[in-house]
Amino acid sequence: MPRLSPIAALFLTPLALLAAGEDDLFFESKVRPVLIKRCYECHSAEKKIKGGLNLDSRAGWQEGGDNGPAIVPGDLSKSLLIKAVRYLDEDFAMPPKGRLPTDEVAILEEWVKRGAPDPRTAEAAKAAKPKRAINLEEGRKFWAFQPVADPAAPAVKDAAWARDPLDRFLLAKLEAKGLKPAGDADRHTWIRRVSLDLTGLPASAEEVIAFAEDKSPDAYAKVVDRLLASPAYGERWARHWLDLTGYADMIGTSNDVFAEHAWRYRDYLIQAFNEDKPFDIFIKEQLAGDLLPAASVEQRAEQLVATGFLMVGDLEIVNPDKAKMEADHIDTQLIKIGGAFLGMTMGCARCHDHKFDPIGLEDYYGIAGILRSSPSSGKMVGFGVWSTIRSISLPETPAQLAERLKAEADHASKIVALKAEQAKLTEENKAVVAKLADLEKAAQARPAAAAGQSAPIATAPTPGPLPERDALTKRRDEIAALLKTKASEIQHAEFFKSKTPKAFAMQDGEKPADMPIYVRGNPYATAAVVPRGAVRVASWDKFPAIPEGQSGRLQLAEWIADRRNPLTARVTVNRLWQKLFGEGLVRSVDYFGERGERPSHPELLDHLATRFMADGWSQKRFLRGIVLSHAYRLTSANHAEGLRLDPENRLFWRMNRQRLEAEAIRDSLLKVSGELVPKAGGPSLALEIIENTGGLAAAGVNPPSYHHRKSRPSQEFERTVYLPVMRNGPSSADKIRNFFDFVDPAGITGQRNQTVMPTQSLFLLNNDLVRKRAGTLAKELIAVHKDENARLESLWLRAWNRPITAEERTNARTFLQEITPLLKKPRAPADLESARWQELCHSLLASNAFIYRL
Amino acid sequence: MLQRTACGFGALAFHDLLQAAVTPSASYANGITPRAKRVIFLFMQGGPSQIDLFDPKTFINERHGKSIDSPLRKEVTQVGTEKFLALGTQAPVRPRGRSGMMISDLLPHLATVADDICLLRGMNADNPQHAGATQQFHTGTFTEIRPSMGSWISYGLGTENQNLPSFVTIHPQGIRTYDNAFLPAAHQGTSLTVPASAKSLPVENLGNVSESEAIQRKRIDLIQRMNRQLKSDVVGDESMEGMIKSMELAFRMQTTTPEIVDLSKESKATLDLYGVGGKDTDKFGRACLLARKLSESGVRFVQVSIGGWDHHGDIRGNLPKLCAQTDQPVAALLKDLKSRGLLEDTLVIWSGEFGRTPWSQDLSGKSPIDKHGREHQPESFCSWMAGGGIKAGLTYGESDEMGYRTVDGKVHVHDLHATILHLLGVDHTKLTARHLGRDFRLTDVYGEVVKEIIA
Repeated sequence: MPRLSPIAALFLTPLALLAAGEDDLFFESKVRPVLIKRCYECHSAEKKIKGGLNLDSRAGWQEGGDNGPAIVPGDLSKSLLIKAVRYLDEDFAMPPKGRLPTDEVAILEEWVKRGAPDPRTAEAAKAAKPKRAINLEEGRKFWAFQPVADPAAPAVKDAAWARDPLDRFLLAKLEAKGLKPAGDADRHTWIRRVSLDLTGLPASAEEVIAFAEDKSPDAYAKVVDRLLASPAYGERWARHWLDLTGYADMIGTSNDVFAEHAWRYRDYLIQAFNEDKPFDIFIKEQLAGDLLPAASVEQRAEQLVATGFLMVGDLEIVNPDKAKMEADHIDTQLIKIGGAFLGMTMGCARCHDHKFDPIGLEDYYGIAGILRSSPSSGKMVGFGVWSTIRSISLPETPAQLAERLKAEADHASKIVALKAEQAKLTEENKAVVAKLADLEKAAQARPAAAAGQSAPIATAPTPGPLPERDALTKRRDEIAALLKTKASEIQHAEFFKSKTPKAFAMQDGEKPADMPIYVRGNPYATAAVVPRGAVRVASWDKFPAIPEGQSGRLQLAEWIADRRNPLTARVTVNRLWQKLFGEGLVRSVDYFGERGERPSHPELLDHLATRFMADGWSQKRFLRGIVLSHAYRLTSANHAEGLRLDPENRLFWRMNRQRLEAEAIRDSLLKVSGELVPKAGGPSLALEIIENTGGLAAAGVNPPSYHHRKSRPSQEFERTVYLPVMRNGPSSADKIRNFFDFVDPAGITGQRNQTVMPTQSLFLLNNDLVRKRAGTLAKELIAVHKDENARLESLWLRAWNRPITAEERTNARTFLQEITPLLKKPRAPADLESARWQELCHSLLASNAFIYRL
Repeated sequence: MLQRTACGFGALAFHDLLQAAVTPSASYANGITPRAKRVIFLFMQGGPSQIDLFDPKTFINERHGKSIDSPLRKEVTQVGTEKFLALGTQAPVRPRGRSGMMISDLLPHLATVADDICLLRGMNADNPQHAGATQQFHTGTFTEIRPSMGSWISYGLGTENQNLPSFVTIHPQGIRTYDNAFLPAAHQGTSLTVPASAKSLPVENLGNVSESEAIQRKRIDLIQRMNRQLKSDVVGDESMEGMIKSMELAFRMQTTTPEIVDLSKESKATLDLYGVGGKDTDKFGRACLLARKLSESGVRFVQVSIGGWDHHGDIRGNLPKLCAQTDQPVAALLKDLKSRGLLEDTLVIWSGEFGRTPWSQDLSGKSPIDKHGREHQPESFCSWMAGGGIKAGLTYGESDEMGYRTVDGKVHVHDLHATILHLLGVDHTKLTARHLGRDFRLTDVYGEVVKEIIA
């Protein structure tokens, strides 16, 4: 709006001046009181400035807040202030607590119509508030954004102590503190430790004995190489990675909608870890596998499945407002990328610049634009407000195709058979119903005269028709029930007719583009468009140009997997370290920002990061180095000096003890009892069991759902990583995860809790899982060893991976003797024997020596 | 690390594990005088229909069965509401008590205590679906995993009774309604099932699997002996020490927990008041009575949940069923608390995660209007509060002509949270916990205390 210069003002007519006076009067008597009463609480310099809007000065509304100028003088329809007080738009209604009385709305309208005369110019100065801007140069000085260095291992006094360069970094700090590292753990402790850490399973009795007796110089290395080559390794480390993805076998959290293809991503992970896929490629495949070149059909399928990383989290698909839903999906994915790879909390920047870290709206919406260019959901046709996560068909090799076609043909003939049975039953039903009708007719047709003599007939058994009618009625009801079952079997079979392999996977959308900032995260209030990019403060160069028509995921993936990225390798090696030592070098493993923890050994962290990258991003070789180090071999027992100088063990003068994760407890129980069955992957959800599925009708209000009512027979004995994960709690094939700190399958959790709850003790004392394993183990010990001593020795080796002590032997024998008279009698001697041993085995499996690793 | 040790239900003489159980520090209190000491939250999952129960609309009743204009934003799709038919209230809603608070004939018992409650008619939430809205009602957000309201209150106020957990949730609707998230695990809600018979267990794994208690005791003695030996081998370990104590506690819980949930010692008059033994009221009556028992014994936050309020179809047939199950027990709880002198410092909250639309929903597209239901509505709904510091008999807030949006007295879920904490003597902006470098609050960056409803 053109402003009057002071000179021009001199020429204003007295009438105009008078008008100005009237306006002032109007403002002071009518407008200002409304503003003070209704708006200042949230929009004034003295109270708060919500949404960046200040209404206590002319400059305040002229400049406006997040949505731009609040008033366009003279124009009611363009003035946001008027739009807000008219309460026409639910996302843009003010004041928030309730609509203004009509007369007050009229005052504000009148004010704007008059050109919004506002004498409050003097207030402008005090209202002006410096806006905080992100200073990238300053931000880059923070340790985590500095390039990764390659420091030389420091000199130490006791050079012979070090088995690996990493030991020297640790020892140097200990020596500086005058703290001697603890002694070495014995071989039994070490083999149990390394077996659990690398594979999530304890060693077998034979492995323990072989290692204890192996005096060769590479005894330790042989164990490590065997463990790293075991398929159990991938099963363990895939689960660690799943903790960072919000993985579940369901989509979103509402209505138990099954995520039929999620398991493929889990299997991809297991295979990737077992094949030791270089971590930089692992990153690229998960973010942009669909955009990478593939040498074979298998590789192409694998790369597509990998992008499930972005799809397996808690993406809610039932929001009727699809714009908001899309923004929430992008947010979930962005938080995951930030947390899993970069150790940064990106979520804050959805609404405003990060308060503590130099990450701003531009960073957020730069990455968000990349994600938005590959839509992850689409409308679910025929299911009301529901959307679904994008799934795509996977390419097949000729052999796979042939196999699939055969499976489909088999399935089709199954449907034909079911339909034939259905037809047969329908026919029979017709006949039965007709026969019943005939009988009914015949009964009615009987001479009415008979009714007069009914008394004697009724007491005598009626020959002929009655039993026949009863039998037919019974059969009719049976058929009705059978037909109902048959119908649901057919519905189920038809629903799962297609065997085409599919995966939840990313694909570039039709119109990849930069996106605007959503003001306060609201998709209906957009601001400037931001070029797609990455986190600027962690960048060493300008973000590369994104080829026309592409989303930019590949460029983002390459940026994350670049050796120059200061965060990726540090965050990764720190998590690996934490899995082995119990605490990270940076203890806030998921957050490397300003308010996170600083590394206890910054040089060691960089040494490890450099080494990891230089060695081809190989996780196996990296872990091998660490578990063969001296630090990893230390006992976890405390000593007085250590407790005094470093009670928290920040310097790693001893190993940290760890409570096993839920999965490791369950898997160890199965291994010790000899019941663990190997599995080659495949679907977690037992969808083939009709009772587990619901809502399979072709179209309905809610999409098909899954409730784990029945397990596949093998599921009781498979490793926990293969069991379904549901977001609503216990609807799963096992209960143990509810008690032992399983992750919430929605968040990013680099480090699990290790809580102590009485409900855990109750589980160990009374749950079937432990009880049954104890029973099986007891029976096997009895079957294999006739001698009580041999049984005890074997039990200790299996359950605790170490020999029984003399004292333990005495205690165990006393226990067996003492409970014998307490057990119910009479019973067969064999039964009594297994009952006694079950109690003993149960005791060992519920003990701390079993659920902790030292 | 915060979460390393914790304990749960029946923490008999177990206080040393409850490290974070403290009375609110002066900094949380920020000069606020507490008006309530404990909370009972009655959670009506599914979305009770406010227009039928508390907020009738002449505009809608007059147009029952006729089309009205849709107030929805065009990007939003609802299913089964395409015709936008006004759906009148299912039963008369009348003024009750001295205040004339509007309550439906479907809630005759609540009507008798109208002067004890404060009806909030301008409740607002942000998510239109059960999972998200339930999560927001309990944690303040639906985009991330955060601690639940009960966990925050347990964390802020600790426990009144060291023999009981500070947060108990009866028949919870999903883990996120009692999750401690990044707060210490001691503040996770302890989940209880009110046993329907003497055989069923209130807590999982409570039944001894050995042939007798004597055998189990022998087994525990052996375990404990081995555990103590291990602890001494490693020269002390807090977590292992916790497990040793927890094992003893677990053993005792097998006896004490059934005692705690045992209602057989209650008088016949009390059982009758709650409708225990009644055809419809038995289950929820037991739950409410147990809530009173726990609350009276000093449990800081007790939640009782019941699902089934999600009436997309045949609301005429279905709503009365839920009312019949809950009305008498809920009113009984208020009467019972009052007669024991507990209502003045116990805050009782009744709410669903959202309400329902004034227009009808017919998912089949073919039903007569009498068989229609209503869609979810977070934009404006009703909750009520009673007891500790609440202005009794007040009706606060107003929705628009059709009952879709709040026009006055808006109380967002964040505001409700702020007000609950305020009544407990806690400044919602000061009760924080550090996680991933940030200080989190139950109210995130939102929330205003609703002073108007405080007595």
